[in-house]
Amino acid sequence: MEKRVVIKIDNLVKHFPIRAGVFKRIVGWVKAVDGVSFEVYEGETLGLVGESGCGKTTVGMTLLRLYEPTSGRIIFNDEDTTYYFMNYLKAKSYIKRTYIDKFEQLKIDKGAKALDELGNVDRKYYKIFIENGASGLYKYLLSNLKEKRKHFRQNVQIVFQDPYSSLDPRMRVKSIVAEGVLAHRLVERAKVNDFVGKTLQDVGIIPAHMFRFPHEFSGGQRQRIGIARALAMQPKVVIADEAVAALDVSIRSQIINLMENLQEKHKLTYIFISHDLAVVKHISDRVAVMYLGKMVEMAPKKELFENPLHPYTVSLMSAIPIPDPDKKKKKRIILKGDVPSPINPPGGCRFHTRCPVAKPICKEKEPPLVEVKPGHFVACHFPGSLKWKA
Amino acid sequence: MYVSREPILQVKNLKTYFYTEDGVIKAVDGVSFELYKGETLGIVGESGSGKSVTSLTIMRLLDEKAKIESGEILFKGKDLLKISEEEMRKIRGNDIAMIFQEPMVALNPVYTIGDQIMEAIILHQKVKESEARKIAIDLLRKVGIPEPEKRVDQYPHQLSGGMRQRAMIAMALSCRPQILIADEPTTALDVTIQAQILELMKELQREYGMALIMITHDMGVIAETADRVAVMYAGRVVEYGTVDEIFKNPKHPYTYALLSSIPRLDVEDQELKSIPGTVPDPLNFPSGCRFHPRCEFAREECKNLDPKLFEVSPSHYTACPFYGVLENVGVK
Repeated sequence: MEKRVVIKIDNLVKHFPIRAGVFKRIVGWVKAVDGVSFEVYEGETLGLVGESGCGKTTVGMTLLRLYEPTSGRIIFNDEDTTYYFMNYLKAKSYIKRTYIDKFEQLKIDKGAKALDELGNVDRKYYKIFIENGASGLYKYLLSNLKEKRKHFRQNVQIVFQDPYSSLDPRMRVKSIVAEGVLAHRLVERAKVNDFVGKTLQDVGIIPAHMFRFPHEFSGGQRQRIGIARALAMQPKVVIADEAVAALDVSIRSQIINLMENLQEKHKLTYIFISHDLAVVKHISDRVAVMYLGKMVEMAPKKELFENPLHPYTVSLMSAIPIPDPDKKKKKRIILKGDVPSPINPPGGCRFHTRCPVAKPICKEKEPPLVEVKPGHFVACHFPGSLKWKA
Repeated sequence: MYVSREPILQVKNLKTYFYTEDGVIKAVDGVSFELYKGETLGIVGESGSGKSVTSLTIMRLLDEKAKIESGEILFKGKDLLKISEEEMRKIRGNDIAMIFQEPMVALNPVYTIGDQIMEAIILHQKVKESEARKIAIDLLRKVGIPEPEKRVDQYPHQLSGGMRQRAMIAMALSCRPQILIADEPTTALDVTIQAQILELMKELQREYGMALIMITHDMGVIAETADRVAVMYAGRVVEYGTVDEIFKNPKHPYTYALLSSIPRLDVEDQELKSIPGTVPDPLNFPSGCRFHPRCEFAREECKNLDPKLFEVSPSHYTACPFYGVLENVGVK
C-alpha cells in the first residue's frame, strides 16, 4: 500500500531577529531552523529529536503557524498552507514568488509537458495555472481563506510540554476541552457535556470532573486534559512537544501508553518532539535527528538505531545512560564542548566543532542530506565513520 | 574501586516534617542508610519522595518551617543534628559539600565565578587571596573549563549550563570534602553534556577518594554511577541494596514497576508497564505501605503494614514482606 503523505515540510527556515539599542535595530539573527525538509505519513509517528537549541520546537511551532516561517513551504493534505495565516498582500506575493513566476517560465520552456516532472502539489497548481491562468490560480488559492484556516487549525493540534502553564487556571476543564469544538461548531451547544464527558473518558479522566479547575489535578492528569483538548477537535495530526518530559517516571509511561492507544483508536498521525532518545525510540515509526537548526539524519526507527550513520546520532545514543549496571563498563563517546550558538553557527558541517571524526573538508563544505539507503537520509561527508554499539 | 566497610555517614530513622497551614507534610519519614568511604550511594525516587529533603537535612539547610522530628545523622561518629550551627558551618563545604540541580539558581549572579570559589577556600583553608585565586584557577582547569584564567573573572550568566555545573563542582571540591552530595546534578543538562559531567564526577571521585551521594530520578544515571542504591517512595526507603541487586533482582513491587516503566534504548519492541494512579499527596499519605493503592500485588495486610525493612540478603533490604510474589511474575 502506498503511504499517503499528510504533512510535508519543504526547506523550512525560521530566523528570529535580535534587536538592540534605542531604535531596536536588528543586529543579528538566531538561525533556529535553517532549511529542514521532511514528510509525515498518515497514521505514523515521526520522532523529532535533538538537544536544546537544535530547533525541534521551532519546527513544531512554525508548522502550526504559531511562528510565521521565514521561508519554505508547509503542505498539509496536498495543499500549500504556508500563506494561510499571512495578510492578503503578503499571501499574494508569496504565491507569486513561489508559483506564478516559476510556472510562467515553465510554461514558456516546456508547456504542458512539465506536468510530469512536478511534485503532487506543484502539478495540481500548474494544471490550474495552465487551464485558468495566473488569476485562476490566485482565485483557487486565496478564496475561502477563512474556511481553509479553520480546516487547518482543526486538523493540526498540539500538546505542550508543561501541563501547569498550558491550561488556563481560570477555566473549568469542560470549557478548556469544549472551547475549540464550539468555536468550530463541531458539536451542538446542547450536547457539549456529553461530548466533553466522552472525550475525558477517552483519556482516562472521570467525566464528572469536567467541572473542576486545572489546579485540582495532578501533573499526569493535566497532561491527559491537554491531550483531551487536542483530541476533541478530531484532528488528523497531533504535534506533541516534549509532552512527557515534565512528568514523573511512573506517570510518563501511562501517558506514552495512552498516546499509543489513542493513535490506534483515532488513526492519528503524531509528530513527537523530544530530547529523550529512549522515549522517541519507543513511540516512533521514523526518527529525525536535528542539530543546530539542521536535520542531520532521518530513518525508520529500526534502521536508525541499528545502523546510525551520522557521528552526532552515534554520540547521542552513546551518551544516554542505560538502566542496566552491566552496561556501565562500556566506554562512551564523550563529545567535547558545548553546542555552538545558533546566532553564529559554524560554517561547513555545523557539527564539525564537536565531531570526533571531523576532517578538513567538514569545516569548508556543508554536507547535503542524501538518501543513502531507501528511507535513510544522512547529512555527513563520512557517514558511518564513527562506530559505537550499546 | 576500593570500597571500605567503614561507614563515613550513617542516617538513622530520620524524620523531617514540614508544618504548613494545610497540615503536616511528612517529607522524610523514617529514613535510614549508611554511606561508606569512597563509594557512591544512589538515592532514586520520583518527585515528592523525600530524596532532596533528606540531603538538605544532612546539610542542615532547611528553613524554620521544617522540623527534624527524630533521628541521627552520624558523620564519623558525630551527630550532625546535635552540634551547634558554628560547628556545622565548619563541616559544611569543608567535609561535606553539595551540588544542586540548577546551577543558575545555586550560583550567585552578582559575584564572579572566581569570587565564589575563593570564598570557601579563604574561609576554610586560611590562605591569602592571591593564593586562593591560584587554587581556584587550578580547580577550574581540573573540572575541564577552557581558559580558566579568563573564566575565573566571569559571571555565572556568561557561562553555559554545562560550564556552570562544572564551576559548581569546582566550588564543591575546593576544600577536598570527604562527602559530596549531588542533588540531580545533570537533570537540567542535555544528554551529551550530562555524559561529560558524569564522567568528570567519576574521575574526580576516584582522584579525591570522596564518598558520593547521587540523588536523581533517572534510573539510567543510577545504574551508571552508583555502587549501592536506596529507592525512595513517599518519604520512606522502600528498597536498599547493591546496584546489581536493585536492577537485576528487585524485591519491592515499586522498584520492579519503576524499572519496567522506563523506555530503554537497548531493548527492542518493549511493552511499557505503567503504574496506575499518581504519586500520593504528601499531606495525606496512604496508611500502611504507602505504595499499596498503586501496587498490583497489594493485599489486605498492606493497609496496616509497619514501616520497616526486611532482610533479603546481608546487603539487600526491602520494605515489602511479600516480595516473594515478584518471583512468580518472573522478574529477571
